Amino acid sequence: MIIAELKPFQEIKDMLKDYRKILILGCGACVTVCMSGGEKQVELLALAIRMARKLEGNDISVIEQTLLRQCDPGFIDRIKDEASQVEAVLSMGCGAGVQGIVEKLDNMPVLPALNTRFIGIADREGNFSEKCMACGNCILAKTGGICPVSRCAKSLVNGPCGGAQGGLCEASKDNPCVWQLIYARLEKLNMLHLLKEMSNTRIWPVHPQKLAMEEAGSIKE
Amino acid sequence: MSISAMPPCQAACPIHTDVRGYVFAIAVGDVEDAIKIIRQVNPFPSVCGRICTRPCEKKCRRGQVDEPVSIRALKRFAADQIKELVFAGKPVQNRPEKIAIIGSGPAGLTAAHDLAILGYKVTVFEAQKVLGGMLSEGIPEYRLPKDLVKAEIDRIIALGVEPRTGVLLGKDITIEGLLKDFQAVFIAVGSQKSIVPKCHGSDLKGIISGVEFLKQVSRKQIPNLGKKVAVIGGGHTALDAARTCIRLGCDEVTVLYRRTLEEMPAGKEEVEEAEKEGIKLRYLSAPVSFSGNGKVTRARFVQMQLGEPDASGRRRPVPIENSEFDIEADSVILAIGYTPDSGLLEESGLELKRNGTLSVKDETGITNIAGVFAAGDVVSGPQSVIEAIASGRRVAEAIHCFFRNKSPKEKAGIIALEPLDESITNLISKAERQKMFSLPAEDRIRHFEEIDLGFSKEQALKEAQRCLNCGAGAHIGENCASCLNCVRICPYDVPSPGKELVAVDINRCQACGICASECPASAITLGIDTMQDSRAEIDKIVDKARQESPEILILGFYCRYRSPLGPPLDRDEVYWIGKCCTGRIDTADLLYPFEFGVDGAVVHICEKDACRHREGNKYLRKHVKEAKKILDITGFNAGRLTVITDEEDISGFINTFDELGINPLRKGKKVKL
Repeated sequence: MIIAELKPFQEIKDMLKDYRKILILGCGACVTVCMSGGEKQVELLALAIRMARKLEGNDISVIEQTLLRQCDPGFIDRIKDEASQVEAVLSMGCGAGVQGIVEKLDNMPVLPALNTRFIGIADREGNFSEKCMACGNCILAKTGGICPVSRCAKSLVNGPCGGAQGGLCEASKDNPCVWQLIYARLEKLNMLHLLKEMSNTRIWPVHPQKLAMEEAGSIKE
Repeated sequence: MSISAMPPCQAACPIHTDVRGYVFAIAVGDVEDAIKIIRQVNPFPSVCGRICTRPCEKKCRRGQVDEPVSIRALKRFAADQIKELVFAGKPVQNRPEKIAIIGSGPAGLTAAHDLAILGYKVTVFEAQKVLGGMLSEGIPEYRLPKDLVKAEIDRIIALGVEPRTGVLLGKDITIEGLLKDFQAVFIAVGSQKSIVPKCHGSDLKGIISGVEFLKQVSRKQIPNLGKKVAVIGGGHTALDAARTCIRLGCDEVTVLYRRTLEEMPAGKEEVEEAEKEGIKLRYLSAPVSFSGNGKVTRARFVQMQLGEPDASGRRRPVPIENSEFDIEADSVILAIGYTPDSGLLEESGLELKRNGTLSVKDETGITNIAGVFAAGDVVSGPQSVIEAIASGRRVAEAIHCFFRNKSPKEKAGIIALEPLDESITNLISKAERQKMFSLPAEDRIRHFEEIDLGFSKEQALKEAQRCLNCGAGAHIGENCASCLNCVRICPYDVPSPGKELVAVDINRCQACGICASECPASAITLGIDTMQDSRAEIDKIVDKARQESPEILILGFYCRYRSPLGPPLDRDEVYWIGKCCTGRIDTADLLYPFEFGVDGAVVHICEKDACRHREGNKYLRKHVKEAKKILDITGFNAGRLTVITDEEDISGFINTFDELGINPLRKGKKVKL
């Protein structure tokens, strides 16, 4: 899932300084799961914004809503009424979610409340780590299911840099050397031969990427 | 929130009283609400609060942890506290049909109550001079004071029921005659004819039936019993009769029962109390014959042993050969069983069974005569008061359906929550069952005053808080994002990843509320003490504070389990809100008050390891931390929020407001929020 975190409160406050009526829009998908943009966070952010603005003597009225997914325009009609009553929407979706809203609300500033960080998994309550960079050319079959693109500080795809000390990355001692993990896992799986065959090349996609399912396209026609 | 499975207590109750509901109401100090819940289904809370056979307690899941919740005593507490008619249930409309009820015991009067509320004209015929049947005459005062019975009957009569006492079925009235004036007749004459053992000499003077004896005593026509009394039987009537004899001054009272204490319908507790009063019990003893010169002086018994289980599931007592023994007795009281007085029903045209009970179609009480219904002990043989109330309720509904040409509601099968598994019971903290104060045995045998003194408020609240709130726990809504946060944090390991959403087994959930306060999708609703309750409470307090205009207004949250009697500290500045575990207080709960001008907030938390739900205080601390952060970034100052335990004095916190000042939102309007 996409992992995101709340922006610094001051930054959010600054974004909103010219508005007196806003809609805070949560997203029920990834950002709910990573506890940064779900219904509960919408409530808390709304409270914080109202409190801060009251204190400045510059009250703001806040409508709170959460969509099932902001990244699908299909859901956005549900908040059209609320959106028509406000001056701006503060989206608590990921970067894609914000833009999903933008596409449907052409006359309305849509602002991001979150910094979208990475694609990752939940380690334990409130802890997430990066596992994928959406490189477009998955090599996990060759690396024992462990991604060096996202988990090596240098994104090396053909073996370690040699700088690791005691199994830890030279760039950050908090992280294990991912190539060491890959080696250990392939050894366990009895698949070390894969390392010899390895000749991964990183394909750098051209942005913005599009994906059109051939079959779906033909149905539409 | 609707949950299809009932808590075991409610499922076990013949009238499915919302036990959890009223126990919770008592737990949070709302006794009036408790009595309202009870009276919705039961017009006899004082009676049932004393003499109910409490099938609920037998199923109470707290009993799997230590001892069941003392549900009956809590009902009594509620009934004793709220004497006035808070739930009148006034007739919604007047209906033309007239109904005659014969018999004013709990079955008859309950039906009268329900039918009067439905708007029917009800007349109750009673053979005796007082209403109430066994309640008024068959149960001694020391267990059930008559003024309380009368008060509950008076409330029923006040609904517009017409009582006619001293009217005997078969003599003064007949069913045929009644059907001319009434469109329905309900026969609830009970089951009061004593079964006499087929023993030689059972017609001797000095041998009396238990019910008859109790009735005489209650009418102050006290028979001369002599010094030594033998009471035969093992039910409540036997024990009641024996304990009455002791109070009347008999020297030696022995209860003889043909089975053992295990099988005794009266129950261990009552036997223990009787023994304290000096009553002797002899088990495995069945009467053989009675002898005496015109009046009984001696009774012969045979020693029994338990054989194979009989139809009732209890082991059948079998006589041991040549084991007869005699005891001296100036009187013998027979309390081995009762049947309906079939003499009353002869020539009524009603179908009787061989054992003398009335034959009815089913629970609706429909008899072979159109418009005539029967229920209660006259149909079932002697049963408990709560069974009688249940049958009265069912017949009232059946009569209503009969008039309105409706078919009675299909009784959906009751699904009860299952017993808890050990993985949960091991995690539930133990809490001692409160014991009611009662008069000492040496004192109480001198009079007929009520033995049990009821719970004090403190005891009642503590006892009510032992309830595990079965089935009132977390309910996952459809906006669940399946983040598995609840799966990770539940102190009881209840939620599990489901096929789509997370699944909470309501059967096992302990209603701590921690998951709801932590759910990032706000997808979890609770059966009790909800987020909405918190917000409403905060609004109420802010309103109250507005009127009282305190210099400093601090909102205090406290754990009801830790401080069952209410706010833990008494300070003018602090307005308290009780929560069922502080772990269910979410971050927004803590912040919300500040938006409305509250100056500070404090949470009185449990010591480490003392939390009822094990980890509630851990999550509370997390929420406090989060809220403090927001107080800082919004410019309110994190110092306005703190947690306190016993050691820390709240004074210290209040003193910090000299520096912090009032909530900046109400600056310049010092006393106005």
